[in-house]
Amino acid sequence: MPLLFILMMCLLGIGIAMFRRSPQAFLDGPSEDMPTRLLRWAAGLLSAQRAEWGQAMLGELGHLDGRIRRLRFTLGCVIAVLLLPPWGRAAAGVWAMIAVAVGSVGLYASVAIRYGLGVGDWVAAAILVVFLAGYLLAASALLRRPGVAIPGLLGGLFVALAWLAMRGFTFYGVIGTIPTMWEKLALVIGVPLVVGAAGTLSGRDAAVGRRVARLAAISGGLGLYLYATLAVAVLGAGGPPEVTGWTVRDIVSDRLANNLIDLLLLSLVTATVGWAGAAAAARLRGRPPAPTLPGPFIPNAHPGTGEEV
Amino acid sequence: MQRNRPPSAQTISVLRALAADPAQWRYGYDLATEVHLKSGSLYPILVRLADRGLLETSWEPGVGSRPPRHLYRLTPVGREFVAALTAARAGRTVPHPRSRWSEA
Repeated sequence: MPLLFILMMCLLGIGIAMFRRSPQAFLDGPSEDMPTRLLRWAAGLLSAQRAEWGQAMLGELGHLDGRIRRLRFTLGCVIAVLLLPPWGRAAAGVWAMIAVAVGSVGLYASVAIRYGLGVGDWVAAAILVVFLAGYLLAASALLRRPGVAIPGLLGGLFVALAWLAMRGFTFYGVIGTIPTMWEKLALVIGVPLVVGAAGTLSGRDAAVGRRVARLAAISGGLGLYLYATLAVAVLGAGGPPEVTGWTVRDIVSDRLANNLIDLLLLSLVTATVGWAGAAAAARLRGRPPAPTLPGPFIPNAHPGTGEEV
Repeated sequence: MQRNRPPSAQTISVLRALAADPAQWRYGYDLATEVHLKSGSLYPILVRLADRGLLETSWEPGVGSRPPRHLYRLTPVGREFVAALTAARAGRTVPHPRSRWSEA
């Protein structure tokens, strides 16, 4: 029941944030079709020296007709954007997260084989792989945003350490500790708020703060998931709490399922509350004077160049 | 550090398509259709070719609601590279695009 309440609150928070960001778009729906919006988002991930190529893809899409053709072209371009160098620091972050995700899946599989778990646990493993792929894709996009990689990864470390500290940094603590109400409040509300606010203050922009919170949610969630899966691999059915009437297989299966739910909830709650923290910090900090941002990229007709107006 | 790898088969097919009429500017989608490549493969190839100075780009102004469109053609260095590639294949010698690839 509390989990459902947290989920509902998070979804409500996301809805309010989307409405506040653009009330007209929220009520009327998007003005551009899905391929254009997707490609525009992907083009925004490119580094400054590759920005022209994002505009090139968008320009090409603007001349394509047919929903399927546009969608296929867009999906190809999105993959190209996500794989296109230069990556810089982002590459190290993505490789680290891939290593954590692959390690987690490998541990899960080894535990499942060792204890002879059933079909349901392998279905859960498939769901886990889908979620982890989504997390890695989101992380690869966030890591390429300016000013997000280091604060986001540090935020994730902070989230993970806070959760582990409340559980005494032990495998028994991770498996068996039931946090008090104050501990729950600190972990679910306090820590994400701090991460979001710190992201806004470090990037001097609420948008950076929100991205930092999201990256912290993903990286912290992945790190904790690996730790919790390692705890199940080491302890098996041992340690607290004492459960009567359950087989070893039942207990291990239950623990693995709890870890998966914790991963999803932790990342959702941290991202949502961190989003609120980022917005609150921006509001408290006051609106800075309007920066003189460069205008939209206007391609010209001269070879190899594009000018900014 | 830049890797000096010989061009892939897909890259060679893009180069050949561009070299068929070197003076003509080409659209990305038309190029992809001609060489049977997906956009996800074509654009990284075009980016690499442009980085190595084998490809020059331009913009065709937008018409009406249509946005400006990117155009591509080989540079003189690119044409030389394709010619060397073709000669190496015709002579059945061990192709030496490696050095040319890295020079470009």
